[in-house]
Amino acid sequence: MTLLLQALINGLMTGALIAVPAVGFSAIFAVLRYPNFAIASYATIGAFAAWWANVVLGLPIIPALVIAFAIAGTVGVVAEESALSRLRGNGALIVAIASIALNLVLENIIRFFFGNDMRGYDLPLMRDMRFGDLRIGPQQLQSLALAVVIMAAMFAFLRYTRFGKAMRAVADNPDLARLKGIDPARIAIVTVFLGAGLTGVGGVLIGLDTSIDPLTGYRVLLSVFAAAVLGGLGSIPGAVVGALALGIAEELALIAVPATYRTAVGFIAILIMLTFRPRGILGERAV
Amino acid sequence: MVSYVIFTLTLCGIYALLALSLNLIWGGVGLVNLGLAGFFAVGAYASALATGAGAPVLIGWTAALAVGAVVGLVVTFATLRLRDDYLAIVTLGFAEVIRLVALNERWLTKGSDGISGIKAPLKAELGLMGFNLFYLGLVTLIVAGIWLLLRRLDGSPYGRAMKAIREDQQLAAFAGKTVLRFKLQAFALSAAIAALAGALYAHFQSYVSPDHFQPLITIYIFLAVTAGGVGRPSGAVVGAYLVVIFLEATRFATEWVPGLQPVQVAALREILVGLALILVLHLRPQGLLPECIPRAPKPVPSKA
Amino acid sequence: MTDFMTNRRTLLTGAAALAGIGALPKLALAQGAPIRIGTLTPLTGSGGPYGPVMVKAVKAVIDEVNAAGGVLGRKVELISEDDQTSPEAGVRAARKLIDVDKVSAILGTWASSVTTAVAPLCWESKTFLATVSGADSITQLPHQGYLIRTQPTTTLQGRKFGEFVIAEKAKRVFFLSPQTPFAKSQFDNITEAVKKGGGETASQIYDDKKPAYRTEIDEVLRFKPDAVVFGGYTPDTAVMLKDLFRAGFGGLKVAFGYSVNQKLVDSVPADVVDKTYTISPSSAEGSKAYERLVKLIGVPSPDPYTTQIYDQINLVLMAIALAGDASGTAIKDSIRKASQAPGGAKIDNAIDGLKAIAAKQPVDYDGASGPCDFTETGDISDSKFRYEQVQGGKIVLVKIA
Repeated sequence: MTLLLQALINGLMTGALIAVPAVGFSAIFAVLRYPNFAIASYATIGAFAAWWANVVLGLPIIPALVIAFAIAGTVGVVAEESALSRLRGNGALIVAIASIALNLVLENIIRFFFGNDMRGYDLPLMRDMRFGDLRIGPQQLQSLALAVVIMAAMFAFLRYTRFGKAMRAVADNPDLARLKGIDPARIAIVTVFLGAGLTGVGGVLIGLDTSIDPLTGYRVLLSVFAAAVLGGLGSIPGAVVGALALGIAEELALIAVPATYRTAVGFIAILIMLTFRPRGILGERAV
Repeated sequence: MVSYVIFTLTLCGIYALLALSLNLIWGGVGLVNLGLAGFFAVGAYASALATGAGAPVLIGWTAALAVGAVVGLVVTFATLRLRDDYLAIVTLGFAEVIRLVALNERWLTKGSDGISGIKAPLKAELGLMGFNLFYLGLVTLIVAGIWLLLRRLDGSPYGRAMKAIREDQQLAAFAGKTVLRFKLQAFALSAAIAALAGALYAHFQSYVSPDHFQPLITIYIFLAVTAGGVGRPSGAVVGAYLVVIFLEATRFATEWVPGLQPVQVAALREILVGLALILVLHLRPQGLLPECIPRAPKPVPSKA
Repeated sequence: MTDFMTNRRTLLTGAAALAGIGALPKLALAQGAPIRIGTLTPLTGSGGPYGPVMVKAVKAVIDEVNAAGGVLGRKVELISEDDQTSPEAGVRAARKLIDVDKVSAILGTWASSVTTAVAPLCWESKTFLATVSGADSITQLPHQGYLIRTQPTTTLQGRKFGEFVIAEKAKRVFFLSPQTPFAKSQFDNITEAVKKGGGETASQIYDDKKPAYRTEIDEVLRFKPDAVVFGGYTPDTAVMLKDLFRAGFGGLKVAFGYSVNQKLVDSVPADVVDKTYTISPSSAEGSKAYERLVKLIGVPSPDPYTTQIYDQINLVLMAIALAGDASGTAIKDSIRKASQAPGGAKIDNAIDGLKAIAAKQPVDYDGASGPCDFTETGDISDSKFRYEQVQGGKIVLVKIA
C-alpha cells in the first residue's frame, strides 16, 4: 500500500515538472493549431536565462524565473515571426516541420555560444520531508503549486479578460474573429509570448532537477508532447491533468515494468486512452 | 576521393528510398509519419536477424519488406481513430518504443552492442572497391525501380483516389472510396519501403545498433521531401540526393570559417541544416519539383 | 522522361560538386605534405559534454609538437569531425576523414556504437583507429591490429569497483546504470568481487532521459544498500545524485571518473555530490604525464576520456616517427614499439619521445591514463586506477593503486 501511495506521490511530483512546459505548448497549440517542436529550445533558453540571472547577476529564484519568462517569451516571438508565421497558410504540418528545423537552429545557437558544458543554479537542494514511510519533496511541491497557479492564471486570463476572450475567439474561428475586429496576428504574438515564456519557466524547473545544457529541453520534449496529447491537445487544464496523469502512469508502471521502458509506458498509455477518448482526457473544448 | 563519392551516392539512394516512403503516405494520403526511423530500424533488424540465422541476403530483404508491412499495418490499426496532429506525435513515440526494444531486448538484438558482421552480399567475391560499386548500382537500381512503380501509381486511378482522400476524406468516402482500405494499403507499402531501406543500410554497413535510429534521420528525410516537393516521387528522390550532398557539403563549407572551436563548427553545421529547411519552406513551399495536379480525368469507374 | 532527365542531371551535378570540393584539400597535400590526424569525437548529441575538451587536448599536443619542428620534419595537421553521437553520422564523417582528408589515424571515437560502425572502414582502408569506447565486443572485431583501446576493459573496471566498495566495508551494493554496452558485464564483475567479500548486490537499468527518478530511487532504497555504484554519464548521473540526496541516502557513492567530473561537481550544490568517490584509469604514481596534461590544457581535473586521447595522440606521433612513415599500417606496426619497447626509456610526452627516437633510443610511453601497454587484440594489458573523492567542491586524489 505504501508502495502504491508513494508511487502516486512520485507521479504527481514528476508530472508537475512537465506540467508547466505542457501548458506553454498547449497555449500555442490552442490558438495557432500546430504542434511546436521549438518548445524544447524555449525551455532550454529559459533555463540558461535563469542561470545567467541567478549565477552571473546573483539574483534569487523568483526574479530569475521572471527573467526566464521574459527572455524565452521574447525569443519565442522573434522566432515565430521570422521563421514560422508566414508558413501558417500552408497548413499545420508545414509549420510543425519548420518548428523542428527552428529547434535545431536554436539548440545549436545555444551550443555555439555556451558549449556543451553542464551548468547549475546557485541554489541549495532541499531534502525530502517524511511522513511515516512516505516522502515528499518540498521543491517539487513548489513546482506543483506553481503549475496549478499558472494554470489558474491562464484559465482566468482566457475566461475573464478581453484579450483572453479574443484569444479564445481566434482559437475557435479565426475568420469570424477577424470579422469582429480582432487582429489575429496580434493575438498570435501575445499567445506565442505567453506560451514560449511559460515553457521557459518550465525549463528553469527542469534545469533545477536535471542540468542546464543545450539538450535540457530536448530530453523532455517527448514527455511534454505525451502530456499535452493525453490531456487533450490545446486544452490548458488538460495539459496539467495530462502531465500529472502521465507522471502517475509512469511511476505506477515502474512497479511492474523495467525502469528502462518508462517512455514506452507513456506512449502505450496515450494509445489506450486515445482509443477510447480520441480527443484526450479533457477534450479540446476546455480552453 | 572516389570511394567517398561512391559511398555518398549509395547513402543518397538509401535516403531516397526513405523519402519515397514518406512521400507515399504524406503526399499520397496525407498522413504524417514522424516514426520513419522506427520502420527503418525494423527493416534493418529484421534482415540482420534473418541473415544472421543463416538465411540468404535476398530472403533477409524479403523478410524486411514483410515485417515492415506488418508493423505498418499494426501501427495504422492502432492509430486509426487519431487525427493528423495526434498521429504525428504518436508515430514519434512509436519510433522511440522501437529504439527502446532494440536497446533492451538483448536476447534478440544484442542490446546497445548492436549486431555487427552483417553479411555484405558478394563482398568477398568482388573485393572492397568492387563491392562498393556493385552496391551503389544495386541501390540505385532499386531506387529507380521503386520510383517508377510509385510514379505509375501516382498517375493511376488508384493514386488519384489516394490524393482525393488526402484532400478531403469525407468527400472521398462519399464518392465511394473505402478510405480505410486505402490508408492501410498506403501505410503498409510505405512502411515496407522504409524497412527495405533499413535492410539495404544494414547490409551496406554490416552493422546496426539502437543508436542508428535517432530522430535526426527522420528530420533529414522531411527536409528531403519538402525540398524536393511533396506529392511527387521524383521530388522526393531529388530532395534526398540534395540533402545528403548538402549535409556533406556543410563539412567543407565550415572549414572556411576561421577561429572557431570544433564544437562551434559542429553547431554551425546543424544551424545551416535547420536554416536550409526553413528557407526552402519559405522560398519554395511547393518544393523544387512541385506536384503536378493532373487535369480532371474522364469519369473514373469506382473500384470500391 | 523529362523527370528522369532532371533526376539524372541532379545526380551528376551532385557528384561533380562533391568531387570539386574534395579536390581542394588534396592540393594542399601535394604542397606541404603534412601528416594528417583526424579526431572523431561527439561534439553534438548526448556525448556532447565530452568531445570538445578531447579535441582541445589533441590540438594542444599537436601545436606543441609542431612548434618543436613536427614529426619526420613534417607538420602535423589536425582535422576534427563531429560524430553527432550517432553511428550513421559517424560513418559519414569517418568516410570523409579517410577518403578525402586521407588521415593516417582517427582518434577518440567515444560511443561504442560509433566505434563499431567506424572500425571496419578503418581496417579496410588501412587507417589506424584509437578509441575510448567501453564495450567489450570492440576489441573482438576482426581489426587486424588497426585498432587500440585505451579504456580498460569492463572486466577490469568492474572488479575494481567491487573491490573498492568491499574495502570501504560496504556489504550491500546497488548498481544503478542506464542501458550501456558494458552495463551488464560491469555489474557481473562487481557482483563477483562483492560476493567474494561476503556482500550482496542488486542492480537497476534506468531510462537516461527522464527529469526525475523518484520511484527508481525508492527501489534502490528498499534494497537498503550501504553503497551505490553509478554506471551512467554526466547528465543522468547528476539527476540521480540529486534524487538520491533528496531521499536522504547517506551511504557510500562510487562513480566513474568520467561521469562525476569537475563539470558535474561545479554544476550541482556541493552537498549533493560531497564524499562521492570516483575511479579512473591512471598513470603510475610519480608519473608526470597527468600533471603535464593539466598544465597543457588548463583544466584542473581532466576526465578519463581526455587523459586517454592525450595518450593516443602522443603514441601515434611517436609511432610515426619510429616507423619513419605516416601510413596507418606503419602506425599499426610500430605503435607497440612506442608504448612498450622492452627496456625502453620511460617517456611521458611526445616531445621527449621524439627526441629519444631521433637519438635511436628505445621508448616506453607511460601516459596520463596509464602505462599504455597493449595486448595483441588492442586492449591495455594493465592499468593503475586513480581513486578520487569529491571534497567541498574539489576532486581530491585519495590514492593510486
